[in-house]
Amino acid sequence: MTAVADCALDMRGISKTFPGVKALSNVNFAVRFGTVHAVVGENGAGKSTLMKVLNGSYAPTSGTIRVGGNEVRMRKPADAQALGIRMVHQEINLVPDLTVAENVYLGRMPGKWTWLRKGEMIRKAAAVLKELGAAINPRERLGNLSISQQQLVEIAKAYAAQPRIIVLDEPTSSLSEHETAALFRILRKMRGEGIAIIYISHRLKEVLEIADEVTVLRDGSMIETRPIEGITAAEMIRLMVGREVSNVFPKSQAEIGASVLRVERIGDGASFRDVSFDVRAGEILGLTGLVGAGRTEVARAIFGLSRLVEGSVVVNGRKVVINSPSEAVRAGIAYVPEDRKGDGIVPAMSVRENISLPILRRLARFGRIRRSADRSLSATYVKQFSISPPDGERRINLLSGGNQQKAVIAKWLAAKPAVLILDEPTRGVDVGAKAEIHHIIGQLVADGMAVVMISSELPEILGVCDRVVVMRDGRASTPLTRAELSEERIMALATGEEAA
Amino acid sequence: MRFLVLASQYRVLIMLGLTLVISALVVPGYLSASTFSLGLDRAATIGLIAIGLTVLLIAGQIDLSGGAVFALAGIVSVILQREIGILPAAIVGILVGAVAGAVNGALVVGLKVNSLVLTLATMLIFRSLAHWITNSQPVTGTDIMLSLALAKTYLEMFTIRSALFIVLIVLLHAWLTRTIPGRNVFAVGSNPAAAKESGIASDRIVFLGFVFAGTLAGLAGVLQSLVTNTGSPVFGSELTVAVIAAVVVGGTRLEGGRGSALGTLGGVLTIGSLTIAMEFQSIPAYVQQVVSGLILILLVVLDRAVTTKGRAPGTRPALVRDKPITQGGKI
Amino acid sequence: MTGTTMEISGVNRTDRFTRGSRLVDALSKAGLALAILAVVLYGSFASPAFFTTGNLLNVLTSMSIVGIVVVGMTFVLVAGGLADLSVPATIACGAILSLGLQPMIGPVPAFVLAVALAGLIGLLNGMLVGYAGINPIIATLGVGTIGLGIVQAAVGGVIVYGSNTASAEFAKGRLLGIPVVVLIFLVIALIGHFVLSRSFWGRWTLATGGNYSAAEASAVPVKAVKAGAFVITALASGMSGGLLGLTLQSARPLIGSGYEFSAITAVVVGGVSIIGGFGSVPRAIAGLVFVQLLTNVMVLQGVRTPIQGFVLGILIVGAVGMDAALRKRGVA
Repeated sequence: MTAVADCALDMRGISKTFPGVKALSNVNFAVRFGTVHAVVGENGAGKSTLMKVLNGSYAPTSGTIRVGGNEVRMRKPADAQALGIRMVHQEINLVPDLTVAENVYLGRMPGKWTWLRKGEMIRKAAAVLKELGAAINPRERLGNLSISQQQLVEIAKAYAAQPRIIVLDEPTSSLSEHETAALFRILRKMRGEGIAIIYISHRLKEVLEIADEVTVLRDGSMIETRPIEGITAAEMIRLMVGREVSNVFPKSQAEIGASVLRVERIGDGASFRDVSFDVRAGEILGLTGLVGAGRTEVARAIFGLSRLVEGSVVVNGRKVVINSPSEAVRAGIAYVPEDRKGDGIVPAMSVRENISLPILRRLARFGRIRRSADRSLSATYVKQFSISPPDGERRINLLSGGNQQKAVIAKWLAAKPAVLILDEPTRGVDVGAKAEIHHIIGQLVADGMAVVMISSELPEILGVCDRVVVMRDGRASTPLTRAELSEERIMALATGEEAA
Repeated sequence: MRFLVLASQYRVLIMLGLTLVISALVVPGYLSASTFSLGLDRAATIGLIAIGLTVLLIAGQIDLSGGAVFALAGIVSVILQREIGILPAAIVGILVGAVAGAVNGALVVGLKVNSLVLTLATMLIFRSLAHWITNSQPVTGTDIMLSLALAKTYLEMFTIRSALFIVLIVLLHAWLTRTIPGRNVFAVGSNPAAAKESGIASDRIVFLGFVFAGTLAGLAGVLQSLVTNTGSPVFGSELTVAVIAAVVVGGTRLEGGRGSALGTLGGVLTIGSLTIAMEFQSIPAYVQQVVSGLILILLVVLDRAVTTKGRAPGTRPALVRDKPITQGGKI
Repeated sequence: MTGTTMEISGVNRTDRFTRGSRLVDALSKAGLALAILAVVLYGSFASPAFFTTGNLLNVLTSMSIVGIVVVGMTFVLVAGGLADLSVPATIACGAILSLGLQPMIGPVPAFVLAVALAGLIGLLNGMLVGYAGINPIIATLGVGTIGLGIVQAAVGGVIVYGSNTASAEFAKGRLLGIPVVVLIFLVIALIGHFVLSRSFWGRWTLATGGNYSAAEASAVPVKAVKAGAFVITALASGMSGGLLGLTLQSARPLIGSGYEFSAITAVVVGGVSIIGGFGSVPRAIAGLVFVQLLTNVMVLQGVRTPIQGFVLGILIVGAVGMDAALRKRGVA
């Protein structure tokens, strides 16, 4: 569509397969010098995988990459940096104990022999920061800066390397509106200098404001690349979502009873505040929103893994104060964490040992775990959830992701909680296991349990939940009933297109 | 909280000041040039080892084998005197320290294991070697006059050893604050992932840090042996806690990424003046041990209380997480 | 440590490791047995004194004193507590107090009080490590220095002698031809084994060391478990020190130095993971048997003490390196 000369980046037919999963399939992606090119898509659409291919972290399974017209092969991030590609990550990756100037020139400080030319470095850093319009003292210790200032230093670091292509991953997630406006001035300036800017964001309003072109990814495929003129937020959402809502998630019908868990205006003083919702017996309440909106933080705080600073939690009509997971379990709350590897399983233990972990004390007599009780407990759930292979003695990390997840859910059912909070329960499991997990959740609510399900996957939320709360920037919307639910509505609430 | 942060920031000055004031009140004739000179000489041994440890701690590592290397290097330098002469023997002694450090560094970087656990084992190895070589008996050197010369005070203030310590700590200060590798040490200790991504060779820095620490411990041991004209396999066993305490008093964090040479100077002076004051009062050695142990524990707890709040995002305490630095970093 | 690829791929990257580890598991178990066998064979051929009742009883007795500490140290390592360096202090506390208090309160209360005070040192370690989050090696190094200093100050830095002959005879005596100390060690090892492998506390310890945050999210009181491991070690080494004092009928403040390394060596050579989550008391004791027999053979061969320390150090480095290598295969 454009001359090769001004084509900064041309990725063709990029596929990336991980064992069992195709993360990218045949993606074409081209960016011109002197433009801002936005990349949008749902969580898991393949944006971050594509960027990791671009910065040399992943080698593509197939496809070619041209930078400035020349075909290149990148094996490590340093290769990408040598080609003039710089990444600005969403998470700040700087050295808090060094000064701003030292961070800007980290790994390439100016000097003679080993002697650091401090004056020169500070002067140059100050010039870069000034050029970017950032009022930051280059001598300041980085750790003393606010997060948004650190974000600007991160951008200054990339800019000071005089890149040809710069990738910004959700750069505004920690910036205020005012700071975002400043960032956009910087981006326009860089664009004017002919730098190719790849801008990844969930915030469609910002995309419309800054981008020249937009590429939509969905399920690992490139859906469309279009000039920004003539596209609307609603249309982008349609392209991002764009699937037929099929009935793969049959809604189980359960009798809905009294309110089991009610949280009122809770906040943790950092990542969320003023969050209120309730969930009733036999009901599945969906909690969704973009990554980083505060969903997981809400769940962890309710479960006592982090502290609430305000608001109240009511279980079965009784107000409870929870400072640790064991107090949460006593109050009748259970939580299946998002990071199964990190927080869910003890990998060196068997399925049986994992399942009985939360209720060991109940299984023990005079401190000794009753073997028969332990075994029959795991046998029950292995059978009920058809965990495969059906062997409770197998080490849990030998199981597939889906079966591990079933075991983690089983672990909590033994504790007989009144409310079960599931955080991304089907992430990274295959389609079959997903259906089984949904079936299990259906059974639980049929038995009168209250379930809160956190998920980024809209079809899952739409298919399974009775009501849905959408979170954005640490705030929660009022619950949407099934009648009010649509993918577009949720995306609009999540991205801030519609006020909560 | 605010108070704790302040106390933590100015702790070197506070503790040094307190030590001096209390000692002056309790010990008659404490504030004199001769006391200072004696204290400085006494502190120089701790100080030389502390110089090496400062660099290592900033890089997020630790070396517990310093005391054993101290003994081993001293023994070698004394034993070899008869064979090759005093100066070459001293140089070989220092080289033994460097080699010991290289062994530590190579094992930590190569095996990717926690430096605390690894140097605990090498401490045992080096200490056993010292006993092995000497048959657990002290060895004596050839020239008694040399130790007198080394013990002499110049300008009514410095012995050769304490002057060397002061010079080295000033050089270290310049190196840490004004050179590129010096700054990179901070980067490696503060955020290994970011350092690596920016192309800093963190493995090499960690390795060289261990070599440096070993060399300095060797130097301290050689000087001690020359001053006393003796090498003993039990030398330096009580130094480990005192050295770590001195460095931590100086504001260097066990978590890595933060520390300064001047702070270490202050910490070493604090521990030195404390030792002298207690020696003047004939307080037994084991009580002095209790004091350095208490200082170490209290300061580490203080550091935890201060740094668990207000820690910048993206930082990972290296030692505290029990994870070797070379494995650190996001994928 | 697992990367984002894990989540994206959604498949189990650890398959290779766990399959491999079973083989390694079997090998390391059999390997240790083979190593013990080799030492025994070598010892019997090389030294006529080795395979005699007297010598083996000697080995068994000295092994028992360290062995009691090993049982405790196993808990520390399994819980992910790296190591307890305050053992010399707790042993000295047990030995000096159980002898020194005899004239005042009698042998049995003295022993109990000595062990209880040692347990208090362990509690301090546990609070620092489990609740304040201080690195275990730094914390126990500091606490050990303080504890040892206080014990020395309490007795004025001199040697304490026993005054109760009945308790001495009991400690040195035999029951059914087996030394009492050995019997006590066996009982403690059995209790330790039962607690670690059969009780809920042991399961909690394994879970805490295996995956701290998953254990925490499974309502395991992780802080208490970690602190408890240090209390257990301190109680064990206090008891070990008490028995040592009673058998020797004298106790110097430095009576326990070196025991921390003997115990750590035994545990890591037994294949207990240095980063926690894996290990058992029988494994640690197998490691102990190997190390003790090796030392004994060296002694009989006239190898000097320092070389034994040297070998211990090499064994720790080797075992830790092997553990790291296995882990690396498991993670990468």
